[in-house]
Amino acid sequence: MKNFSFNLIISFIAAIFVCLIVLPMLALFTTTSFVELVSQFRSPMILSAVLISLETSLTVVFLALCLGIPVAYLLAMKNFKGKEIIDTLVDLPISMPPLVAGLALLILLGGNSTFGRLLSNHGISLIFSKKGIIAAQLFVSIPFLIKSTRDAFESINKDIINASSTLGASEFYTFKTILLPMAKNGIYTGMIMTWSRALGEFGATSMVAGCIPFKTETMTVAIYQNAMSGELTASIAIAILLLIFSFTLLLVFKSRVRVKAG
Amino acid sequence: MGIILKGISKSYDGQAVLKNLNLKINQGEFHVLLGPSGNGKTTALSVMAGLVNPDSGSVFIGGGEVTSLSPDKRNIGFVFQDHALFPHLQVFDNIAYGLRVRGIKEKKIKKIVAHYLELVRLQDMYNKYPFQLSGGQKQRIAIARALAFKPDALLMDEPLSHLDALECERIRDELKRIQAATRVTTCYVTHDHSEASALADRISVLHKGRIEQIERPEEIFYHPKTDFVAKFVGADNILEARLVEINGNTTIFSLNSLGLTDQLKIKARTYPVFARNTKHRLCLHPEKIVVSHTPKGKNNFLARIIDIVPQGAVFKIIGEIVGLSGLKLRAVVPKTAFKINSNTEKIWFSFPPDALHPLCGRSCRAAIPQRACNNINLFK
Ligand SMILES: Nc1ncnc2c1ncn2[C@@H]1O[C@H](COP(=O)(O)OP(=O)(O)OP(=O)(O)O)[C@@H](O)[C@H]1O
Ligand SMILES: [Mg+2]
Repeated sequence: MKNFSFNLIISFIAAIFVCLIVLPMLALFTTTSFVELVSQFRSPMILSAVLISLETSLTVVFLALCLGIPVAYLLAMKNFKGKEIIDTLVDLPISMPPLVAGLALLILLGGNSTFGRLLSNHGISLIFSKKGIIAAQLFVSIPFLIKSTRDAFESINKDIINASSTLGASEFYTFKTILLPMAKNGIYTGMIMTWSRALGEFGATSMVAGCIPFKTETMTVAIYQNAMSGELTASIAIAILLLIFSFTLLLVFKSRVRVKAG
Repeated sequence: MGIILKGISKSYDGQAVLKNLNLKINQGEFHVLLGPSGNGKTTALSVMAGLVNPDSGSVFIGGGEVTSLSPDKRNIGFVFQDHALFPHLQVFDNIAYGLRVRGIKEKKIKKIVAHYLELVRLQDMYNKYPFQLSGGQKQRIAIARALAFKPDALLMDEPLSHLDALECERIRDELKRIQAATRVTTCYVTHDHSEASALADRISVLHKGRIEQIERPEEIFYHPKTDFVAKFVGADNILEARLVEINGNTTIFSLNSLGLTDQLKIKARTYPVFARNTKHRLCLHPEKIVVSHTPKGKNNFLARIIDIVPQGAVFKIIGEIVGLSGLKLRAVVPKTAFKINSNTEKIWFSFPPDALHPLCGRSCRAAIPQRACNNINLFK
């Protein structure tokens, strides 16, 4: 009898959890008709938001690879003074509220700061531009790539790296032929996590880049803007697209992890 | 030429692991570094390879000093305990790795890899991935990979310790054959003394970061220099003996260190060192003890059987000498040589005088200078 009531309570709580996740999604899909949604997908505003989101988030993944892999290598393979500081810096953007990150970037890159003026003197303006979006997205998402890559590097048996060096390979040759191929799965995982974080980024992006339709309006920003101005159908259309993106990413991610485990 | 370690010291967190280690391995020699776990074998080998930097001392390989060179500049082959094959590369690419690093042409690489695959008898495995190989096959590939680029020295860290006895013996024999064919200077680390004796031209026994004895295997096994070496190589009967008299080539000792009247005397071959002292520690190899139901030979002791342990083809018999409580001797006899009934309580241990050796180095065993040793009786 005791077991029965315990199981009942557990099942009830699980049901609440399922509702928590499923009901909002159902709400999204049921508020508008399919025909209405399809017509929304043709709207130039939505198309532009999708393109801007894809362009910026993919650029962010590329930049994260270029910056993140060397940092991950440094953290995984080297011992140096100040390593803990860099380690903490990697974690910081994850725990920092995105709005705070956005505000900090806005101040740094804005025309009133020395750095911002230096940039604008060279004709570079990050505020209210796609470059600003990229900067904001990179800031919040690069830690995922670094952490995942670093873990992958660290899980490689030290003897394998030593073997490479006793066979005559320089550090760079070992990096190229042993570490990168062996860390492949970890890097892919990091890329997927970085991409999904960049795609879903809202707070920092809207702070830095504003919400200029056809210029700096990403999908998330467009959802917010449309919802606030009463264009609920447009919001829903973008939201559904975004859901499809993240769902696909999740599937790819899960299959990769399964390949890794198997 | 060969490998030379000069005054190598290394500590980890204030713990000295290698203490002023000196070692000279000759060109073309198969050298075995033997010692129990945690005594610095891997550290010593890593110092040779450049994987660990010593706190002091210098390393020479192939005639040149390499102390400050990184591993990739030392031209050494290293075989790890866990093979350390590159899991994402096929067997061919694993063996070719050291050749590609050196910029050798692919056409030539193909020939060399084929040669080394043949040497380790795995010709058909070139397109397999490491996870498709058995433990023994992986280790063979690791050996081929370490040899393919013609290193100045081959360093191996317990490469067979994870294999079953049969595979271990097979690879051991092949390794000996390959080393004889290539004449590559080899330093092989193990904690297994039978493996050491099967492989080595010379063995050095490492104990607490120092080399206790370095000699040919027979010397190590039958003339251990210290208690530690004796125990470690299984020559673990050590007798505390008091010299009674030296009679030319024979020396008589008494065994009752407690001073009982009932003296147990044993005869030993005379060594120069006997003349210098009255108290000696003598080593008696368990294999040299003959076990029988009746007394035989010169040194006979009735022993009460304490334990009989079957080990493969031999019995290890532990007996306590009657009249000398506390003195236990271990004998190793082939199972075929001796029949034991379950009600046998006492047996005879006997051994020839030349089975006894003083625990000291080669110098004390040098030819006996006649005039010094004739008829010296220290107990006149
Ligand atoms: N990187 C390290 N940091 C700290 N201590 C170490 C390190 N490497 C080895 N040691 C210590 O040095 C001592 C000797 O280690 P080493 O690996 O050389 O022994 P070994 O003779 O190879 O032992 P085994 O037979 O178990 O492999 C051990 O006490 C070990 O704990
Ligand atoms: Mg070791």
